[in-house]
Amino acid sequence: MDETEVAALIESEIPDATATVTTPRDPDDDSHYAVEVVSPAFAGKSLVDQHQLVHDALGEHLTRDIHAIELTTSTPE
Amino acid sequence: MSFEPREIPPEEAQENVVETIENNDVALFMKGTEMMPQCGYSRKALGLIGQYRDDVATVNVLTATEAYREKLAEYSGRETIPQTFVDGEFVGGSDILEQLDDDGELAATLNA
Repeated sequence: MDETEVAALIESEIPDATATVTTPRDPDDDSHYAVEVVSPAFAGKSLVDQHQLVHDALGEHLTRDIHAIELTTSTPE
Repeated sequence: MSFEPREIPPEEAQENVVETIENNDVALFMKGTEMMPQCGYSRKALGLIGQYRDDVATVNVLTATEAYREKLAEYSGRETIPQTFVDGEFVGGSDILEQLDDDGELAATLNA
């Protein structure tokens, strides 16, 4: 899975989400991603629940095709 | 030189999850050991917790990775490692620990 696919999956699963996916280590390292997700769906949710939405969106890919994500979640300004 | 850990049976891993979460104030399921973490995220989680608590119970999931992932998901809803529990409640992985620390809330979350 490349960055674009990871972002597309998150954006398709979480309402009105904007996902920015980068590779914090080596640009060719396709199993560690830094993921920033902005969505109104996070409003009023705890940090754990916000992260859970993203984990659920990635489903089986996380831990299988993806070693790890460094995740930041926020709501739109 | 190999750092492959001794494999344990899945049943033992499942029991370790239950016992460690239920019998410790702060539990960290990580890749590698406290002395030798095998993943940067596990190392980060250990360091963040270590600022406030010196009594964290650590479990090396690499001794039965799949069994640990499955059993931990029953408690946390996720299979990613590391996972931190305080008083039996799932707190988060390394990102959540870091954000709580940045927000000045990690000490309180860890009951330090």
